Amino acid sequence: MRIIDVHGHWGPWPYHLDGGDVALNVELMDRYGIDLQLVSSAEAVVYDAVAGNAALAEVLIDEPRLYGYAVVNPNRLDRSADDLRDCLSTGRFLGAKIHTTYPGVPVGSPLMAAAFDMLDEVGVPLLLHTWGADVALLPGMLEKRPRLKVIAGHAGGDAWREAAKAAASCDRLYLEHCRTVTDYGRIAYAREAGVPIEQFLFGTDSTLIDPCISLGVIRDAGFTPRELQRVLELNAAELFGL
Amino acid sequence: MPVYDWQTRTPAEDIEYDVDVLFGAWPSHPADTDLATVRERLTTAGIRRALVISTRGALFDAAAGNTETLAAEAEDLIPVGTVDLRDAVGVGERLDELVAAGVRCLRLFTVQQGVQQPTPAYLHVVEEACTRGMVLLQDGDPRRFGQALAGRGAEVIFLDLHVYLLTDFLLMARDEPGFRATSRMLSSPDGIERVVETVGAHHLVFGSRTPFVDISPQTLRLRYARITDDDRALIAGGNVQALLEKVA
Repeated sequence: MRIIDVHGHWGPWPYHLDGGDVALNVELMDRYGIDLQLVSSAEAVVYDAVAGNAALAEVLIDEPRLYGYAVVNPNRLDRSADDLRDCLSTGRFLGAKIHTTYPGVPVGSPLMAAAFDMLDEVGVPLLLHTWGADVALLPGMLEKRPRLKVIAGHAGGDAWREAAKAAASCDRLYLEHCRTVTDYGRIAYAREAGVPIEQFLFGTDSTLIDPCISLGVIRDAGFTPRELQRVLELNAAELFGL
Repeated sequence: MPVYDWQTRTPAEDIEYDVDVLFGAWPSHPADTDLATVRERLTTAGIRRALVISTRGALFDAAAGNTETLAAEAEDLIPVGTVDLRDAVGVGERLDELVAAGVRCLRLFTVQQGVQQPTPAYLHVVEEACTRGMVLLQDGDPRRFGQALAGRGAEVIFLDLHVYLLTDFLLMARDEPGFRATSRMLSSPDGIERVVETVGAHHLVFGSRTPFVDISPQTLRLRYARITDDDRALIAGGNVQALLEKVA
């Protein structure tokens, strides 16, 4: 069994913590047995999407266990769309990442709808930062865009119940539960709400968050060995062709 | 059969004292958790003792909540008292009753009781509690309450220190030997390590927030933290043991 982490980052964050060097990504992967990690650039998420994506592209050349998400800024969609296609052409980027807080674009914004249209056309998975009840809008947004598959990063954050209900109603919406505040019972709740095991993905938020936080959630979830392989490896392998 | 080391608990995850445990109703959650279930969860996670409090006191009725908490007292459950910050007139007498009942820790619920900053009632409760030598279990943003608690020689445990706020806690703890925080939200690969290196392990304790939060993420972070075994033992319980002996 491999472990594929679908929610990682590379680069420094503007907080009192370590995490700038790619060596830390690899050290943490080795410590916990993570084989592959999909990462976005912290600079691209927080500050400059195009510049951050370009810096990550350089890092990926020398790190075969890392793959990239190209960060898309919905405020500058034309430029971001061109940049996404450039990143994908390298073969080392496998999807797009959109944060909702830093660019100030909530899920329900027309700007997000336009970004979804673009991503539906490009046809790569989107890791979307979800934090709040607007995660419930995603099934409706995906219904109109049949090629797009979305990972609900953080599984809605505080709105994990709304995220679970949303994923239960849409087979192209995946739940990924990384978060510092690991509310008890989120995975069990989602399963009881009807989310199939095929729609759970493993993500860590590393190196912002130590991967053992998400691994602890997995441990406490009580998956069977078959389910564990689904969540840690197979679902991501199938989604990203790994 | 486990494939990875992290799948199996080790003694490095054992916890002697958990300072953040509740039981009872919590209407914003899908289900409530009674004391027996909480206890079972602690045992499964290798947590030997807990500072425990009824949720009734936090949300509805401080006096009745304290009664429930005191009834739960056992060798493995140390009762924590509370007062309602929306009803602080005459709080000294209530604290005297708690102290007389053997309660040494007072938990404040600023988040649930809508106290967004140090209010007159909050400051009054803090003053009365400190006068009686009680340990304050302080919820909420440490930046909002830390300065009001500083300069009193207070024994404080911050229950909601997020790793994003670490720099503020370290700056305060540098001057306040009685300031401690739980490691629950120090989730970065170096959060625990930075506290230990900057101000010392005696400023950290374990507080899981059972039953509302998964426990394994927290015990795994402590297990894998790049600190000495002695420092890990302090965080896992040594510091709380010493604190309880100090205020006994």
